[in-house]
Amino acid sequence: MNMQTSLIKKALSNPLSLAGFIIIMCVFVLSMLAPVIAPYDPNYIDVKAILLDPSMQHWMGTDGLGRDVLSRMLYGGRISLLVGLVAVGISTAIGILLGALAGFYRGWVDTFIMRIVDVMLSIPSFFLILAVIAFLTPSIINIMIVIGLTSWMGVTRLVRAEFLSLNEREFVMASRTLGAKNARLIFTHLLPNSLTPIIVSAVLGVAGAVLMESGLSFLGLGVQAPQASWGNILTDGKEYIQFAWWLSLFPGLAILITVLGYNLLGEGLRDALDPRSGSNR
Amino acid sequence: MLIGISLISFFIMHLAPGDITNNEAAFNPKASEESRQKLREMYHLDKPVIVQYGLWLKRMATLDFGNSFASHQKPVFWQTVDADGNVTEGMIQQALPITLMINLLGLVITLALAIPLGIIAARKYQGWQDRSITLFNFIGFSIPSFWLSLLLMYWLGVVHNWFPISGLHSLNYDSLDTWHKIKDSFSHLWLPVVIPSITGLAGITLFVKNGMLDVLQQDYITTARAKGLGERKVVYTHALRNALLPLITIIGLSIPGLIGGSVIAETIFAIPGMGKLFYDAVLMRDFPVVMGILTIGSALTLIGNLLADVAYAWADPRVRRGVAKA
Repeated sequence: MNMQTSLIKKALSNPLSLAGFIIIMCVFVLSMLAPVIAPYDPNYIDVKAILLDPSMQHWMGTDGLGRDVLSRMLYGGRISLLVGLVAVGISTAIGILLGALAGFYRGWVDTFIMRIVDVMLSIPSFFLILAVIAFLTPSIINIMIVIGLTSWMGVTRLVRAEFLSLNEREFVMASRTLGAKNARLIFTHLLPNSLTPIIVSAVLGVAGAVLMESGLSFLGLGVQAPQASWGNILTDGKEYIQFAWWLSLFPGLAILITVLGYNLLGEGLRDALDPRSGSNR
Repeated sequence: MLIGISLISFFIMHLAPGDITNNEAAFNPKASEESRQKLREMYHLDKPVIVQYGLWLKRMATLDFGNSFASHQKPVFWQTVDADGNVTEGMIQQALPITLMINLLGLVITLALAIPLGIIAARKYQGWQDRSITLFNFIGFSIPSFWLSLLLMYWLGVVHNWFPISGLHSLNYDSLDTWHKIKDSFSHLWLPVVIPSITGLAGITLFVKNGMLDVLQQDYITTARAKGLGERKVVYTHALRNALLPLITIIGLSIPGLIGGSVIAETIFAIPGMGKLFYDAVLMRDFPVVMGILTIGSALTLIGNLLADVAYAWADPRVRRGVAKA
């Protein structure tokens, strides 16, 4: 616990990660409060209010079906956060498991797992995701699973590399000589010591997953109407690009700011937690 | 490696619910169960999965991905000549050069901008130039490229009407003379080429900057400075060459991303390249096309990585000697 609080303190003393943290908290709070603060029902269709300019009644205007864009943006934020967190949760879990197996047992286990990683890395991942999603019928759950299942390779490599280098360190050898079981070695020595890079890559991974989800929804293969997501509001934006700039501007800005927040936090954490970077540069 | 890829792309297709014959039959309500059976036989869909995979692998070895389900009987990969000598061009054969051209042009623009920016950021490290380039990088990493495309489409295409916003050529393309043809293609390509290069810029700039910073700290640079060489000569002839070496690998690694990214860009700008072809094929459940593009895309990635390795060995004498020894 103590180690964790000092990590957090250190991370938040870095201006980059502090800025990122504040951005993410704002997005988080706003989208969690969506049912309370959204001025309209996000799916309420008002045929008398189609494609209205932003005004006092509709801060971000209305879309082609007369739905309030601000309300849809707030609810869309929930989807982005959910997809980002769950997808990264899945990919990080797979990555830790496979990376730990490869890095700890080495030999043919390592060769086998790394060969799978190589194969997965050489298929253009966006193609893979698109193909799987289209065949599984798009839905939020499928998107989260598929993004998770196609983005674990980086974490695997990272964990494996950490394990390989930690395995050579004195304290691990000492523990091994004292007769520690494999499970004890993995869970009390290797894993806690490789946590920092895992956290950094998970935070950056959320940024990637949010971008991916919005891209898929934009193509119509992600979150399906009438459920709002930033990506599918942008699809409407493309449809009405000649008449309604606000439909394109706001959701894109929201994606940009959210992803920027995660990237800032991730890079800031990397700077703050990694003794090798930062001090001499 | 290739076998792994082919296995994955094959089994994804068989995750699909439904039966392709439903699609073809849907266009023709009179299709009987018998004719459906005939279709299944034609595509070998009546055989067990393993047999289907074997047949597919056998054809793949000769780069024959079969014919498209959706666009009637168009060969997926390469042209075929029928008995009368009529040539039918393959779908990938038509789409691939367009995508390659756009990505190569984009890569050239990216490098042309990223290398100078990276050098500036490294030389003025922690100065205002570096800080603004870093800020720009963060935004470049975070901006959704399709949103940027929409904004530029709106700003340059709709508001100012400077550039056409979709397709590769104007409608009257065939009636133009050579000069206007070139001009027409150029104005159509402008947006789709520039946008991916803006988003790719961030990563490569950061990479050049870090490479330069590393190299500039090394002893031989200090030696060069101590000899009294001008700063310009130190940076551009001594440091730059070594800083750019790893860039070769990065470019090789970025190929899958470029190919994947072409889906969104080509869909937005209605460009008939690999990305658009893939997107349409996925929507229509056109198995052979999807499998063909997945395989070709992965093969391109492998070829790209191989080329990067070769280029690296060519550019770096240390690696070359290591290879020769081994």
